[in-house]
Order: sequence, then C-alpha cells, then structure tokens
Amino acid sequence: MTFLLLIVKNLTRNKIRSVVTALSTMVLVFVCTLVWSILAFLDSVTAEQSQNLKAIVTERWQLPSQMPFAYASSLSEGAASDPDDVQPEDAMTWQFYGGSLDPKNRTRDNSLFAFGLEPDKLLTMMDELDELPPERKAELAAVVDKMRGNRQALIVGRNRLAAINKQVGERIKLFGLNYREIDLEFEIVGVFPEGRYDNAAAFDREYLLAALDAWPATHNGRPHPLAEKTLNLVWLRVPDMQAFTQVDQQIEESPLYASPSVKCETASSGRASFLEAYRDLIWGMRWLLGPAILVTLALVIANAISISVRERRTEFAVLKVLGFRSHHVLLLVLGEALLLGVTAGLLSAGLTYYFVNNVAGGIPFPIAFFQAFYIPLDALGWGAGIGVLTALLGSALPAWSARSVSVSDVFAKVA
Amino acid sequence: MNGKQPMVLVDRVHKFYQRGSERLDVLDGLTLEVREGEFVGLMGPSGSGKTTLLNLIAGLDKPSQGEVWVGGQRISSMSESQLARWRTAHLGFIFQFYHLLPVLSAYENVELPLLMLHLTASQRRQQVLTALELVGLADRLKHRPGQLSGGQQQRVGIARAIVTDPSLIVADEPTGDLDAKSAVEILDLLEELRKSLHKTIVLVTHDPRAAERADRLLHLDKGRLAGQQQPSPEGVPG
Ligand SMILES: Nc1ncnc2c1ncn2[C@@H]1O[C@H](COP(=O)(O)OP(=O)(O)OP(=O)(O)O)[C@@H](O)[C@H]1O
Ligand SMILES: [Mg+2]
Repeated sequence: MTFLLLIVKNLTRNKIRSVVTALSTMVLVFVCTLVWSILAFLDSVTAEQSQNLKAIVTERWQLPSQMPFAYASSLSEGAASDPDDVQPEDAMTWQFYGGSLDPKNRTRDNSLFAFGLEPDKLLTMMDELDELPPERKAELAAVVDKMRGNRQALIVGRNRLAAINKQVGERIKLFGLNYREIDLEFEIVGVFPEGRYDNAAAFDREYLLAALDAWPATHNGRPHPLAEKTLNLVWLRVPDMQAFTQVDQQIEESPLYASPSVKCETASSGRASFLEAYRDLIWGMRWLLGPAILVTLALVIANAISISVRERRTEFAVLKVLGFRSHHVLLLVLGEALLLGVTAGLLSAGLTYYFVNNVAGGIPFPIAFFQAFYIPLDALGWGAGIGVLTALLGSALPAWSARSVSVSDVFAKVA
Repeated sequence: MNGKQPMVLVDRVHKFYQRGSERLDVLDGLTLEVREGEFVGLMGPSGSGKTTLLNLIAGLDKPSQGEVWVGGQRISSMSESQLARWRTAHLGFIFQFYHLLPVLSAYENVELPLLMLHLTASQRRQQVLTALELVGLADRLKHRPGQLSGGQQQRVGIARAIVTDPSLIVADEPTGDLDAKSAVEILDLLEELRKSLHKTIVLVTHDPRAAERADRLLHLDKGRLAGQQQPSPEGVPG
C-alpha cells in the first residue's frame, strides 16, 4: 500500500513530464481505438456466419447489379424446379430508387435514396430490423401496416428526415435521379428504428413497377431505359451453409438466368469481395499504422521514464542502502510506467468511447457501404492493454538500469 | 568496554578498483575491530578510502580480498539480496547529504526501511513515531524534506537509520553539510544513541569536533590505518 503511494508520489514529482507522457499516451490510444474499431467492425461483418445465412444474388458481371424484374419470383424460390430442390426460408428483392425534392437544384440535403421492396420484408429480412426487441418491432409493424394499404407510403430514417426537413405525415414529390423521368409522390408514414437505417428510406416495390409499366403510354410505346434492369439484389434466407451451397448450385445451373447471368454469395463473402478494393488500406491500418503507434508510444514512455530514472540514480542507491532489493527498485519503476500507462489508456479509451458513440455519433469513415463506425466496449480493454504493453516495453530498459544501480558507484561520486 | 566478540571485524581486507588497464588500490590489507557499543571515529585525507571502508562494513560493496564480519555474520560472502535483508535489520546508514526522498514526508521517509520487514501498519506507525520522537521531530511528521532545515533533515536521516533498531550505525560525514550549531546537535544525538541505546557507531568525519566525541579515533592514509588515539586496552592490529 505504502509502496503504491510511493509510486504515485513519484509520478507527481515532475508533474509536467507525467502529464505530457499521459497526454501522448491518450492521443495515441485514441488513434489506436479508432483504427481498431474500424478493423474490428470490418472483421465482424466479413466473418462467416454459420447459421441463418443470407444469400445475396446479384448480376454476375456488372456493378451496379441490374437484373430484369422477371428474375424476381424464381430467384426468390432459389430457382427450385425439382421437388428435391432446396427452397429458401424467406426472400426479399431490392430496387434502388434515388430522387430529389428539387428537379433543378439537387443537393445532398434535398435528395433521398430509397429501397423498393415488399413492405412485409422490412420485418423479416432486413439486417438488424429482423432482430428488434419486441416493442420496437411492434412500432415498426405498425408502420408496415400503413404501407400495406398505401403504395405511396414511405418510411424514412430519422437523420434523412431531418436533412430534408420534413415530418411524418407530410407528402413529398421526388424527381427521379437514376430512374430518369420517373417522379414519385410519397406520403411519409413513419421512421425506421434508430440505428442502421437512419439515412435510408423504403417503399413498396409495386409503386415503382407500376410507374415503369405506365411509362410507355406517354412515350410512344417505348419502354423506360431501365425497365429491364430494375432488380438490383435478391436476398435469400437459408438455414445453414449446406443449404446455401445447394441453392447456389440450383441458381448456377438454372437456364433462366442466361443474360444477364447472376451469382450467389453470402453476405460476408459479398462484403469481403467488396472490401477487396480496400485491401491495401486495411492491411496498412492493421499492420503499419497500429504497430507504428505502439512503437511510438513505447518510445515516448521509454524517454520519459529513462530521464526520470537517470535523475534518480542516487535515490535508488539510497533505497538499496535502506534494504530495498533490486526487484523492489525494478517494480518501483515499472509500477510508475504501468500506472501512468493504464490510467491514461483507460481514460483515453473511455473518453473516446463516450464521445464518439454518444456525442459525435460514430466515426465518419465511409469505406465500402459503411458510413460510420462505432467504438465497441472492448475498446476499454484495448486502452488498458495498450497502456500496459507500451508501458512494459518502454520502461523495461530504464527499470533494468535502475535495478542495476550500484551503490558504491553512486556514492563514490557523491562523497 | 567488554571483551566479547567484536561487533565489526575487518580482516586483512584489500580493495582495488579497475579503471581500464589501471588498478587503483584503495584499501591495502586493512584490519580493524570495533567492539559492541563502541563509537569509532575515522579520519583521513580525501581519497584515502574512508567511504570505501564504510561501504564494506555496510555490505554495500565487497572486498577484493579478505573478510568482513559484522555481528558474527560474514557479510563479505553474502549475496546481494541477503545483504539487502541483512542491512534492513542490522544496519543504519547516515549520509552526509541526508538523501531523503523529496516526495515523501518526514514520516514516510522514516517508514521506508520498515516496508522491507513484515510488520503491520500499526507496528510500523509505532516504530516510526518512536524514532522521530527520539530525534526530537515528533512535531514535523508531515513536513517534506524541502520544508525542513539541514539539521532537521539530518535528524530525519538518523531516525530513518535507527527505525529498524539496528545494532550498528555507520555515518559518512553526517555533519559535513551542517552549520556549527546543527552539527553539535547531531553529534549530541549520536552520542545519546550510543549511551542510551548501546548502538555501535562508526563515524567518518573531517570535523575535529566530531572526532572528539569518538571513543577511539582512527586515521586512514593511503589505504592503511596510520595510528590511533586513546588506544583500546586490548590493542588493535595495524
Ligand atoms: N566505485 C568506485 N569505482 C572506482 N573508483 C572508486 C570507487 N569508489 C571509490 N573509488 C576511488 O577510491 C578512492 C577512495 O575513495 P573514497 O570515496 O573511499 O575516499 P574518501 O576517503 O571517502 O574520500 P572523501 O574524504 O573525499 O570522501 C578514490 O580515489 C576514489 O576515486
Ligand atoms: Mg568519502
């Protein structure tokens, strides 16, 4: 106990140095926490789920994927043609419609990106929404109910709603961005539960299909240029990897999807292949930036501790005269570094956790299709861990030299 | 005094330091006996090896040749950690420049050696208070070294040296950094320790007033003991 007190008191000896060391630890732990949060998130989304998989069907050779809507119903059944074939447990189709409130002057704040889908699938197939706690789920179900009877119903994420400055109950007209001249009028009937879809919107796919069907009537019988390219994705829910493989094979072998041909992936393999483009960046973050920060931090601590050890050689000699053994002196120095490192690391990770998640609303680091990243609670462990590791690395040498102080050498000079 | 086994026995000790290719002989076959309860003064020109001898007696350094016995134990063959343990229990060291830890209060400085012993907090407290009372600083427990005069700091140093109740106290020019008045107070205190607590004291000094207090005064010159005032009844070789 008194030993700990001695460690604490030693840290207060040169307050500026301790504070500067603590601050540099905090800054570097902060950067590490951000970097690792992103990496941990990317790892988690590319880690293969073994149960309850979602298979994603897209056009094979084109990005963005644009399939004919005629594919929708057979793909939703996993291209099952034989009684022995595996049928997906559930399925949904995705059609992406972008529109702007102002046809002439399009800005980030007056445009909207919406998914055309079957409203029921909001409850059963969408990531996160299919796992809502009961009350939130009931709220969403109420919104979905309103969408069923009303093709023009639109559900919007709360951030997007605020950005376009509208409220639930208002009507809006969107001028088509990707679907040229397909302008759709909507009634905003509800908002997404807070979270992943804060910037998204969704509506009944029938509305878009009907608009496309009506197009030739006003355009000399010519179809809309995207009429045969309106199906962007199909998601299939399969119970396990074996079912996935089978469905994949059924789709692969089906004659229905010749032109354009399609491919089937799991969500994580789909994301992983998408992230391929960022491979070098991610590799660099993981293996260059992370370690570089740790090394820098270890050096900062080593510098501070070795200065303080050099200043205190006489003191360590005195402690030895009083009967402190070498390992006590070693512990004294290590303890100082550890205490500083752990405190600063925890504090930094804690503050980062709080401010990034609760105040800033995530790290704005748009990579692939992820908009923002959140700090996991694990970060507190990382912070303390980085503190311990770098403190040990940085203070090992100075602590060893303190431990090896020879009393007679020190006092030969003093006397 | 009495003729029991000596408190300190330095037996034909050589000490040399290697500096590159050069060998510096500091102690040259020195033999010395200090009886229990004796107050021995050690004088000599600068560089004559006084501190070196004191360090050998305190187990802070090892002789190149010969043996050092203290309180019946051959400390010259103990390991570093044995020596550290031995020092805590049996030896008090008083420095010229006090060497108190500046971040600790007088109380905490005195408590330091006790941390190496298995004592309860209240036992430690009892011993610290006793030691500080003995040196007359019971009213300065919370003061840091920077808030104490040189004489007071040295008294804290003495309290720290006696707090584990060692039988041998060595002091390297304990009055060297003090004004005349404080020096006298410190010397009075050392004499008091010897008289009432029967401590054995070896004192290195340049100060004739300090030398006066010793039962026996030794002169070290070029690594040898030159002569002795007030020779002891038994006589000491050298
Ligand atoms: N650890 C050491 N390494 C090398 N040389 C040393 C060491 N300790 C002492 N010496 C040398 O040994 C000699 C005696 O030193 P010592 O400190 O014992 O003298 P001293 O009598 O105490 O002198 P002073 O009165 O100045 O304190 C000196 O020449 C000193 O430089
Ligand atoms: Mg000396």
